[in-house]
Amino acid sequence: MIKKKYNTINDFLEDASFKNWVQQSNGTDINFWEFWIANNPDKQELVNKAKDLVLGISFKKNFVSEEKVAFEWKKLETKIQSRKAVPKRKLRFLKPMGIAASILLLVSVGFYFINQNTKITHKTNYGEILNLKLQDGSDVTLNSNSSLSYYKNESRKVWLSGEAFFQVDKKKTTNAKFWVITEDLSVEVFGTSFNVNTKKKKTAVFLEEGSIWLALKNGENKKMIPGNYISYSAKKNKILEDINLINPTIKTSWKDGSLLFDNLSLEKAMEKIEESYGYSIIFKDEESKNTLITGAVPITNIDICIKAIEKSVDVTIIKEDNSLVISKK
Amino acid sequence: MIGYFLLFLENISPLKFYMEKLTDKFIWKSLKEGDLKAFSVLFESYYPQLHDYGLKISKNEALTEDTLQDFFLYIYDHRENLSDLETIAPYLFTSYKRFLLKVMKKNAKLKHTDFSDEVLIDLKFTPEELLTNQETESFKNKNLANLLNKLPKRQKEAVYLKYYSGLKAKEISEVMGINYQSVVNTLHKAINSLKEEISIIKLFKL
Repeated sequence: MIKKKYNTINDFLEDASFKNWVQQSNGTDINFWEFWIANNPDKQELVNKAKDLVLGISFKKNFVSEEKVAFEWKKLETKIQSRKAVPKRKLRFLKPMGIAASILLLVSVGFYFINQNTKITHKTNYGEILNLKLQDGSDVTLNSNSSLSYYKNESRKVWLSGEAFFQVDKKKTTNAKFWVITEDLSVEVFGTSFNVNTKKKKTAVFLEEGSIWLALKNGENKKMIPGNYISYSAKKNKILEDINLINPTIKTSWKDGSLLFDNLSLEKAMEKIEESYGYSIIFKDEESKNTLITGAVPITNIDICIKAIEKSVDVTIIKEDNSLVISKK
Repeated sequence: MIGYFLLFLENISPLKFYMEKLTDKFIWKSLKEGDLKAFSVLFESYYPQLHDYGLKISKNEALTEDTLQDFFLYIYDHRENLSDLETIAPYLFTSYKRFLLKVMKKNAKLKHTDFSDEVLIDLKFTPEELLTNQETESFKNKNLANLLNKLPKRQKEAVYLKYYSGLKAKEISEVMGINYQSVVNTLHKAINSLKEEISIIKLFKL
């Protein structure tokens, strides 16, 4: 601020310390500018002009409320999402050759009857989240690098590898159950919402709402109540964790597109990043591993994710091929 | 459980986190890649300012809100064609102004009225909007509002963008399509004529 030259009005207007002097808000700046003006009488006119502009006119800012903004955003979000549901590509596809289309329809109807028992599989890549609606109306959010399969005539029985969040519709009339089957256990459901994660060679189930039964591979059954978080490994033949979560969002925030870290070490946080994006993690120093991080990062955009982490803890993250290299700033 | 879930989200609020941590450039880049979260950050940060700006121009709340919905939807739909930006504010103010004026012109044509952009952008200030200094009573505020309203239209717009929307002179120059020096001159002219008027009023009061 001392060596800088002030020749035009812009130089004053863009200068934070000048503004501080005008608003008399910072002692050092006030002293500096009183001194500067006394020593630069030829700039007096320019100073006055700039001062006028900074002072300007004060308005009472009467912006719309946060609630209003949130309401308008919901409105817009709904419009965007309803647009996504009807992709334009389909229309283009339908235009040419109606005959071909009807033949195709006939063939596929035939296939439908023959292939009632087709296995359907949904797979996600790293950095991808998929929202599915099953035939019975249940909603499934499939996390990155995961797969979910079921037979067409039996969509209330699904096989999961990876992680998914389920919101199962209760079938009041038939009381039909919903099953999630993993390598370690089966989850028996009536109507409820819960999270199942088979990453890290175990199956972890978190129950958000309702009630479910776990049928473990070793024949044991276990009832879960809301808030329960249970993980089990068939290989080790034992329950690894059985706890009540105080911060359940940490386990399920991924389905809304973000990972939440609540005072987590950077090392642990980066493990989650590794799971979501598939990058391997390399720490250049030990100190960075133990830095604590709190906040949220996106699950589907690695660049924003990196930036967010770099901004909140003092590290530099460099993306190299398939790895993230972390070093102290 | 769900209630608790929402409550918790509000506390850490990923959005707030983004807002504080990310620069315009990154928000813009992620929007172009279709990141809905980045878009919601953009929406939340600029909706209030654009809402007031639109209301000042159109003087019609329903029209302002409808056009804002359409405008943001337009941006999202055309995100892939947007050019790279370092600062978002001037772009949003300029495009929204253009968007709103187009709709207003169309509405005007239906009513067989004819006017140009210059006629359309005629901001009006009310005494309630002005912040009272310690020594000025509401009478003086009323006077200041009157004086402001008497300024040429361009000066009023520059004053509004600078002191209400909080844009920088450089950003105003982009929104109004004039160079930096003209913005500074326009603003200064506005402030000066206000000052002169005020001192004349003071003289008469004495």
